[in-house]
Amino acid sequence: MEQLAPISIFLFVLFLLLGTGVWVGLALLGVAFVGMSLFTSRPPGDAMITTIWSASSSWTLIALPMFIWMGEILYRTRLSEDMFKGLSPWMARLPGGLIHTNIVGCTVFAAVSGSSAATLTTVGKMSIPELRRRNYPENLIIGTLAGAATLGLMIPPSLTLIVYGVTINESITKLFLAGVLPGLVLALLFMSYVAVMSKVSRNFSPDPEPRMTFAQKLSNSRFLMPVVALILLVIGSMYTGYATATEAAAFGVIGALVLAASQRSLSWNSFVESLMGATRTSAMIALILAGAAFLSLSMGFTGLPRALADLIATLDLSQFELLMALLVFYIILGCFLDGISSVVLTMAVVEPMIRQAGIDLIWFGIFIVVAVEMAQITPPIGFNLFVLQGMTEHEMGYIAKAALPMFAIMVVMVFILILVPELATWLPDNMRARPG
Amino acid sequence: MAYPAAIKTTLDRLYTAGGVLGALFLIAILCLIVVQMLARWFGWNVEIVKGAPDYAGYCMAAASFLSFAYALNRGAHIRVSLLLSAMGRFRYYGEVWCFTIGAAAATYLAWYAIKATYWSHKLNDISQGQDATPLWIPQLAMCVGAVLLALCFWDNVLRLLLDKQHAIVADTVEEH
Repeated sequence: MEQLAPISIFLFVLFLLLGTGVWVGLALLGVAFVGMSLFTSRPPGDAMITTIWSASSSWTLIALPMFIWMGEILYRTRLSEDMFKGLSPWMARLPGGLIHTNIVGCTVFAAVSGSSAATLTTVGKMSIPELRRRNYPENLIIGTLAGAATLGLMIPPSLTLIVYGVTINESITKLFLAGVLPGLVLALLFMSYVAVMSKVSRNFSPDPEPRMTFAQKLSNSRFLMPVVALILLVIGSMYTGYATATEAAAFGVIGALVLAASQRSLSWNSFVESLMGATRTSAMIALILAGAAFLSLSMGFTGLPRALADLIATLDLSQFELLMALLVFYIILGCFLDGISSVVLTMAVVEPMIRQAGIDLIWFGIFIVVAVEMAQITPPIGFNLFVLQGMTEHEMGYIAKAALPMFAIMVVMVFILILVPELATWLPDNMRARPG
Repeated sequence: MAYPAAIKTTLDRLYTAGGVLGALFLIAILCLIVVQMLARWFGWNVEIVKGAPDYAGYCMAAASFLSFAYALNRGAHIRVSLLLSAMGRFRYYGEVWCFTIGAAAATYLAWYAIKATYWSHKLNDISQGQDATPLWIPQLAMCVGAVLLALCFWDNVLRLLLDKQHAIVADTVEEH
């Protein structure tokens, strides 16, 4: 790195713009502009617009607004009420009781929505008051909810994984399928923790649930069945190679509309609200991706990615050491940036490193998502903490402490992923591929 | 001098109109995907179907660019607000700085968007894909959207300077 001065200016501008609160997409644009001006004689403006145009009109990006829209439609149905009513009869006999509705509910909703905040509000809206009324320990209610809601980021459809796939040009279908098993394992880990705590903890004495016959249980969860069918349709069509991720997303939107209409929760208002919500969120992500596309072009000229990859190569780190270093890096970054921004901001630099170390990029996508999930529940910026604070009026510190065991479980999950990489790679390797 | 209310309402309507247009493009994307799937199943071989992926791409760009300004005023664009919140009563100056940087970046983007579109019209740039669309047509949406975003930023700078208040109304549980 002979160009120390320009590189420090480049990094200084990056931290200045992001840190002072300039909107992430535009901050990236500004930094990229500075990088281009410092490191090349190419006119930055024309290069910028060519890059941004091809990044924002790309076919792979189209799955993004569709999946957002699907989640927005279902978010406005009576799913929230049905979820608790439909799940609780089945969970009542498990050790840990209805706390499991938090985790299973989040898992189910995560499979129709790519957002962790939407998952949290949909499940929490009903489960928090219901669980409180039954005298479940407060810290367990809050903690499991904060932790399990992050599954929205991993279980497909996942916005973070779409953005990751678009940034490094990998198949979104493969990334989605890679997220399925690790997501389920993580949910099981959360559930085991709850089961153990229910036996160990002294203040775990909830009111017992009335016994129900099998027929009653079924009738209670009849509203949940269509949602489960929709999930199977979306994921199944991708796995069998019947549809691409984009087409599966279209299935999802249409299915969600039909489902909402059949429940009579689809009014003109809720339709417009869901559509406008999807428009806003996808515009937000598109702006970040536009800035990031220009930044990664500019980053290439700075020579920073290659220099870092070379540096890592000379350090002779093992794969494991590299992954640990990256894990710590992403957890720290996640304290200040949201998941999508930290993925797009770093991939230009991290991708060459990963390739050089011979790490599978699909697997790494899942790894990065777990790291980003942890960031959702760590202060000071953990977004789930904010949402929960709004919902429960607890102090941030209390919520963060309640979520701490979930954080530890996610760390365990990272090690499981490293030990058993097939968890993420088996499904995508065995799906029936269809070009396009 | 106060900021004339009539201008504010007109501009706000303009941003919302951009958002609505963007939303219509999202519906167009959905239709294009469905048409493409149907065509595959039934073996249709029509001109519009061959170009569908490219058309959907243009719709994506249009949907994003046209709703940038709308998303900004509805607080959807994310930022790191840690320092801003810590600034307390000096937050106003932080906001002025952010909006000015934003305005400069958006203006730069709009300028080059117009320039690129002008040249692709002039040179008669045709899409490389099967759709063979003259590129300036879809790029027009990029221009309009980028100009709207720049306008929205300068509008907010003015509002900050004259009214001491920007126009962003945040919805707390926006997606993350």
